[in-house]
Amino acid sequence: MNLLNCFLKDPVIARDWGVGEWNCFLPLARNARLLGRSLALFEQHDLLDIVPQRLIDQLRGALAQTRYVQVQALRELRQVARVLEHEGTDLMALKGVAYLVADLPPRGWRNLSDIDLMVPEEDIADAERALLRAGWQPSGEFDAYDQHYYRAWMHEVPPLVHHNRETEVDLHHNLAPPVSRIRIDANHLWDEARTVSDPYGLTVKVLGPADMLLHNAVHLYMNDELRGGLRDVMDFRDLFEHFIDQEAGFEDQLLKRAEVLGCGRPLYYAVSTAQRLAGLRLSVDFVRAVQRYAPVSAVAHFMTWLIEQALAPSRLGLRRSAVAHQLLFIRSHWVRMPLPMLLRHLWRKALKSKAPTSSIQETPG
Amino acid sequence: MLDYDIIVRGPRNLRRWLRPQILFEVDGMLPFDPQPRENAFPMFEWGLNWCIATSAHRYMMLHAGTVAFGDRAMILPGTPGSGKSTLSAALHLRGARLLSDEFGLVRPEKGDLLPMPRGIPLKNTSIEAILEFDPAASLGPTYPKTRKGRVRHLRPDAQSLLAQHEPAVPRWLVFPKYRAGADESLLPLDKTEAFRQLAFNCFNYKLLGETAFRAVAKMVQDVDCYTFTFSRLDRAVEQLGALADAGREGGRR
Repeated sequence: MNLLNCFLKDPVIARDWGVGEWNCFLPLARNARLLGRSLALFEQHDLLDIVPQRLIDQLRGALAQTRYVQVQALRELRQVARVLEHEGTDLMALKGVAYLVADLPPRGWRNLSDIDLMVPEEDIADAERALLRAGWQPSGEFDAYDQHYYRAWMHEVPPLVHHNRETEVDLHHNLAPPVSRIRIDANHLWDEARTVSDPYGLTVKVLGPADMLLHNAVHLYMNDELRGGLRDVMDFRDLFEHFIDQEAGFEDQLLKRAEVLGCGRPLYYAVSTAQRLAGLRLSVDFVRAVQRYAPVSAVAHFMTWLIEQALAPSRLGLRRSAVAHQLLFIRSHWVRMPLPMLLRHLWRKALKSKAPTSSIQETPG
Repeated sequence: MLDYDIIVRGPRNLRRWLRPQILFEVDGMLPFDPQPRENAFPMFEWGLNWCIATSAHRYMMLHAGTVAFGDRAMILPGTPGSGKSTLSAALHLRGARLLSDEFGLVRPEKGDLLPMPRGIPLKNTSIEAILEFDPAASLGPTYPKTRKGRVRHLRPDAQSLLAQHEPAVPRWLVFPKYRAGADESLLPLDKTEAFRQLAFNCFNYKLLGETAFRAVAKMVQDVDCYTFTFSRLDRAVEQLGALADAGREGGRR
């Protein structure tokens, strides 16, 4: 368990920190995209007076950036909603942008790089066309293989971005790929969805509380981009604590929905990870109930080790965590698609060069 | 206290035996493609700038060379090619304290500038311009083939480094424009136009929103604003030096 996770579990330990601990904490928190969340924890636990000023400056800087990105994300959502409303298409906000528009706790600190949206499967082609007509375009170069990968195997169309703006729009029709081991009937999700509005006349749907947590769990279970994974685990904890306060019988509701949607295993992983790495406190009954979705004990132990290496390495850049990332990457694809498809896909990915990073040309100076 | 955990290292691959490369790792992330190993130092330099530009939003970040005369700062905002780096380097060689050749870090609530003195990367013909201006200038090795051309770094003096934790108060805002063969001309600039140009040269103006709007407005109100066309470094430095001397004696406008 690294210093960041010890802090997330019990923030008051920071009272005993010296320069060494602070210097270890900052890179871990930035890497995990939890600077804004950390500032909120320092505030909530009345610790601001012990945090070095330089670190406060870094945290405030990160929060300023988050506020900006949040405004952009909501603005993008409003623009998309306007187009799809005209088309008469139902629109659901997912993940980060849903927390913003539904005013859930992560709104105070949650950074986001794109907005995730869902429309009914039968409408997704029309919705994509409507957005393309209204000024959105594919966010990158997608060749015939990529197009096939998204449209035939995944639960989304290739990401879109408006030509005047920067926020990427990921348009989904489900929470998991149709070829994956987890097959969710999206109709169940729409049945339980809630409608939210903001003061500027934006009205969209968001997942019901239990489904929202299950989506977070499925994402952790399948995602191949593990950087930021710990942030999602913190979202899980924050949302869980919020809903257990707000919704009567929330734990039962969560178990019931996991059964209906077939997301028991992801729920098990999300719950046990949030408990271990993010300090989520749960009732004994609930832990026992979720335990029934655990894999056989050897697998559970190995996964526990893998997730911890990838999400909470003791130091950044450890080779052990790089290996864990690789294994989880392969595993995330393993649960996403059947073996022959997976082998073909990894082969294609290996042939193609890796995604471009920022160009030095663009750096100041 | 550290701000960033940076490692410049070679990638772990077979290529290292043929054409060695170098990676810039910050807080466990790799923001750039690998570069040839001989460019490790320029890469470190640009990596530092990248770290600041993408995360130091606690400050308003001006794209500007900044120097100080005593505790009074001269801000030279400008896009690449405007000559701000060369001009800052030359002013520094004539005794002005170097704050930064690239960033004006402003604390929005106070309006003062934080120094960040580092080697000034001189690019291409700027190198000869500076050597001609001061043959004794302390320059580092030549990096002939970087992504931004040929680069040599000018070492900041000890006084600037010793004073690197002492903020400076903005006093002059000078928008430099290098134009080959032009006569030096320093003209007062209308405050509204200065506001527009300064906002344009602020990296995180959009991101900081109202905070940046107010900080830019306060700055152009508090300082004397000029545009400055120049071609000869010695005359340019003489003229800006005279402006600084006059300003220190007289009050604020």
